[in-house]
Amino acid sequence: MVDSLVVGTYSFARSCIGIISRPYETYRRIIAKGTLYELFPIGILLSLYFATNALVKAPAFRPFVLTRHFIKTSISVAVTALFMSLLLWSVGKLFGGKGEYKRFFLGWCYTLIPTLLWFLFTSILYVLIPPPRTTLPTGIALSVVFLTISAVLLFWKIILSYLSLRFGLKLDLLRIFGILLVSGPIIALYSVGMYRLGIFRVPFL
Amino acid sequence: MSDALYGRFQKKWNEVTDLPPQTVGPFTPYYKMVTKRLKVMPLPKLIIISIICILALFYIFGSGITFIASVLQRGF
Repeated sequence: MVDSLVVGTYSFARSCIGIISRPYETYRRIIAKGTLYELFPIGILLSLYFATNALVKAPAFRPFVLTRHFIKTSISVAVTALFMSLLLWSVGKLFGGKGEYKRFFLGWCYTLIPTLLWFLFTSILYVLIPPPRTTLPTGIALSVVFLTISAVLLFWKIILSYLSLRFGLKLDLLRIFGILLVSGPIIALYSVGMYRLGIFRVPFL
Repeated sequence: MSDALYGRFQKKWNEVTDLPPQTVGPFTPYYKMVTKRLKVMPLPKLIIISIICILALFYIFGSGITFIASVLQRGF
């Protein structure tokens, strides 16, 4: 068990470098040879973010409030990841996708890394330079930098999501577009629901 | 051909033929051109594309992009 976790952590570190430098090859390897032990370090990183998020967002610095915020965010992200992967996998199956859910889920969990980075970056920036941004040249410059970093992470997320669908379900681009067309409205409704419940303003997809 | 080399070839062949080749009709050459550049170290290209997109956004909305940034900054 401990050995598997160590190997899983090493594979995770290797895959993290891979999804930056060679995403295509890395995703092929993740889907073909990845193990669910690789989810352990992803879980730890997510927990660290939830702890940071609780410190930044919780209305009072009290253990009960912080713990409640931490648990609420953790459960919401876990439910969202399961919901997203099950939805895309089910719709992908309708479009003729092949493959195991377990492998697709592992690939999908790696797409949470750009999301995690964006949320962490935004949380830190929120503390260092709280919004709103002004329309002064400094405010505009900071907005441009913030939006550029956000766009890079979004494009990276899109590439990783595409690769997890491509390798996890062995589908072509047109079918992947079809999946997104069918799943898009459901994901939008889910996001609105999360917003109404006061859990996420930007959904942690 | 030695057994080891043949084994490597067969492994690579299985990897390549695992997925159906990607075609998008008349856009296939463009698709291949774009994906070829994104397969290895895509981040520098993504940074360039993002800068162009955000500058275009700035051109369209002017200082209004500060509002978008403020909304997103509260969105975590």
